[in-house]
Amino acid sequence: MSKIKTKILVVDDEINVGKSIRQAILSGDYKIDTALSGEEALTKDKKERYDVIITDLMMPGISGLDLLKTIRQERPEVIVILVTGYPTIKTAVQAIKIGAFDYIAKPFTPNELRSLLQRSIKLAGSSKDEKEEAFRPEMPSDLFIMKGHTWIRKERESLVTVGVVFDFLKPIEQISEIEIIDENKNIYQGEVCARIIDGDNNIHRIWAPVTGRVVRVNENLKDKTFLLKKDPYKKGWLIRIESTNLKEDLKNLSDSLEERSN
Amino acid sequence: MEAKIKTFHKFLNLPLRAKLILSFSTVILFGGLLTLILGTKLEHKTIFDLAQAKVRHDLASAWMVYNDKLNHLKDIVRLNSTQEFLQHALKQNNHVLLQRHLDRVRINFGLDILTLTDTEGRVVFRSAQPEIWGDDQSGNPLVIKALAGNIVSGTQIVSRQELLKESQRLAEQSYLKFIPTPKASLRDKDYEENGMMLQAAAPLIDNSAQILGVIYTGILLNRNPEIVDRVKDVVFRGEKYKGREIGTVTIFQHDLRISTNVKDTSGHRSIGTRVSKEVHQAVLQEGKPWTNRAFVVNDWNITAYEAIKDISGKIIGILYVGMLEKPYIDLRNRVMLTFASMALLTVIILLIILFFITSTIIQPLKKMVLATTKIAQGDLDHRVDVTLEDETGKLAQSFNQMTKNLKSANEKLVHWGKTLEKRVEERTQELREMQDSMIQSEKLASLGKMAASIAHEINNPLTSILINTHLMLEKTEKKREGYENLSLIAEETSRCSEIIRDMLDFSRQSPPQKVYTDVNDTLIRTLQILENQATFQNIRIEKKLDNTLSPIELDQNKIKQVFWNLLLNASEAMLEGGTLILSSRYSPDKKNIEIDFSDTGIGIAKEHINKLFDPFFSTKTSGTGLGLAVSYGIINQHQGKITVVSDPGQGTTVTVSLPVPEKKQSVKETTCQK
Repeated sequence: MSKIKTKILVVDDEINVGKSIRQAILSGDYKIDTALSGEEALTKDKKERYDVIITDLMMPGISGLDLLKTIRQERPEVIVILVTGYPTIKTAVQAIKIGAFDYIAKPFTPNELRSLLQRSIKLAGSSKDEKEEAFRPEMPSDLFIMKGHTWIRKERESLVTVGVVFDFLKPIEQISEIEIIDENKNIYQGEVCARIIDGDNNIHRIWAPVTGRVVRVNENLKDKTFLLKKDPYKKGWLIRIESTNLKEDLKNLSDSLEERSN
Repeated sequence: MEAKIKTFHKFLNLPLRAKLILSFSTVILFGGLLTLILGTKLEHKTIFDLAQAKVRHDLASAWMVYNDKLNHLKDIVRLNSTQEFLQHALKQNNHVLLQRHLDRVRINFGLDILTLTDTEGRVVFRSAQPEIWGDDQSGNPLVIKALAGNIVSGTQIVSRQELLKESQRLAEQSYLKFIPTPKASLRDKDYEENGMMLQAAAPLIDNSAQILGVIYTGILLNRNPEIVDRVKDVVFRGEKYKGREIGTVTIFQHDLRISTNVKDTSGHRSIGTRVSKEVHQAVLQEGKPWTNRAFVVNDWNITAYEAIKDISGKIIGILYVGMLEKPYIDLRNRVMLTFASMALLTVIILLIILFFITSTIIQPLKKMVLATTKIAQGDLDHRVDVTLEDETGKLAQSFNQMTKNLKSANEKLVHWGKTLEKRVEERTQELREMQDSMIQSEKLASLGKMAASIAHEINNPLTSILINTHLMLEKTEKKREGYENLSLIAEETSRCSEIIRDMLDFSRQSPPQKVYTDVNDTLIRTLQILENQATFQNIRIEKKLDNTLSPIELDQNKIKQVFWNLLLNASEAMLEGGTLILSSRYSPDKKNIEIDFSDTGIGIAKEHINKLFDPFFSTKTSGTGLGLAVSYGIINQHQGKITVVSDPGQGTTVTVSLPVPEKKQSVKETTCQK
């Protein structure tokens, strides 16, 4: 049975960037279109009904966020990946809360985008195909979630423990390496705090759910990478952050109870 | 006029007390004097009017005595004229019989003469001198009236010649040599030889109503004190004043004293002296009664003179009554003295009262004047001591209050003056620091804006470069020519993106979210996180924290970030080991909390000190040079300060000052959980 090509729309108001993104993900498995504005994207989507939309966040007219809202209203199953500049990361994090699959910060390597794309397609495919899940660890109720990505647990005051949610790890079959940010570094919500490199050499970026200073890294993960997926909410924790803006950061996160009910 | 105004001005310029006393004294003296003068005049007039009225009354009494004597003589002649045996003896010219009878009458009644004449007026018989008879007495006015059938009496001047006929004794008795009297009028002789007599005459009428003759009698007044002494006894009852007779009576023959009880200096009756010219003129010449003070012999008297007239109405002498003036003068003087002493006493008492009253006014005023002088000389501690509760007391109180206020105002002023310079210095320092801080903030803000816009504009091209480089790398085998170049491009592009990231980190300064925070606690928590790290292993940490610090509003996380940076910097300065002293304290002068981070590290070169807080300034090989710049920005957002003092080779002290708002000393809430 010939595989149906995944239909992808790349939206960016800068033609060179759009072209580059297209080049980066060019593959026989995908049918890739490009659009130069939100308006054009909507018109094209009506015709083609894309599986994945990769859109720039900052665009004149209809912005990436508007596009996400409009399309997901009609078709909640569509995968939206946002491309964002560094100053608008906060907006991207908010977008995740309202349904974006993921985002990627400029500048990025083709590999990073490809990994992201593959993971999204895989996750979408898996939820379609495998109705029953063989293994799914229970998510504790005391967590705050960056949907589909990371969780935090408040340890005391502003100190939080950060980990990766199972949904993010599910499509990653083999974790060969985990790169974690150094201790004492400052990190902002939505920035990369760790990278997971899988067996296919795909790099999966993990977003920091809160702003703060990294005070501790789970050194165990360096040797025992499996812990991340096996016990994602306990021993598989990633880092501890002395958060500096927890109250504000929590606004962009969901409650784990709410998450479980979905 | 001008002189008067000048005097008035002089008066106005006198001291207050003198002015008051002078005014009052003038009024009192003027009043007293006026009263004294008027009183004296009135009293004088009253006393003397009274005295004169009395003396006039006394004169009238004297006349009664005088006339009584005349009537007595008249009665004697009337009685004898009707004696039948006397008429018979006259007819018979029986001298023996006449003598027997007339002598008896003359002696019994104390008469000086008693004589009978015939119808022709020839003397038939003289009782006092029987040897002489036959002479003619028809010239005698009394005899003439008696021959005409009348019984008459009166005062008569009798010549020496006639006196000699009547009696040798009478002539002698009448003779008086004048005693020189200073005020008397001039006379052409210096003696008197005639006499003055009280006489009475009556006709002898028989049964057939035929006049047989005349009987006449008389009493010589010269040297005869009977009448005057009688008047004195009746009127004055012999009263004396200081050894002198109060009342005196005199009978004058013309102006010569012939009978008197006025005594001369040797105590004798002053017969022979004469009346003053004034009285002579008024009474003898003009016939008017005269009443006045008069100098009689030795003393001033209040006197009354009235003329004595003979039967034909001719003025022949004066009847005088006098009272010593001295008792009245003394009385008047006594009254006046009493009056004057009372006035004087009143004045003295008034002056004393006035003195005290003015004292109560003037003493406080003087004190006040002294006080103003002292205050003018700068003695602001001087107080006016007035205890009275009147206007002066109130004035003194107000004055003291004023002085007090003046003093405190002055003290404030002096204090101000002293502190002003210090304040100006402090203020100048603050301004300088503020200016520096503003420049620093300005740098940070503009850099942030620039970084944001650069990041946005460069990101898109970088994205294209990075993607395409990677795509080319993927297509190029590692050993092929150009692979390394592409790798470098990719690497450097990533580095570009890193730089942009750091710039954006720095520009992303969100407003602080402040909560009540215990600074010590925040410091200790930050330290706890760092302590276990490798860089801290060789460092000894000393804590000198002031536990009494009150919590202040801070963005706890941002302050932690600052402490973190400073602790890390300190540890990195002491890679070979050392001591880190952390101390905190409250500075009441500056009203802030100060936290010191003192290390014994390598120190900072002088030329670097001023650049420490500049973005991207770093002496370390690693790091972006934004740590202190960001810390500076955070402390700046808290209106605080970071200062650095360093001694290269010895160590560095970084001080963070955070202001404590004055009215927020009390803690309302705190998010600190211990």
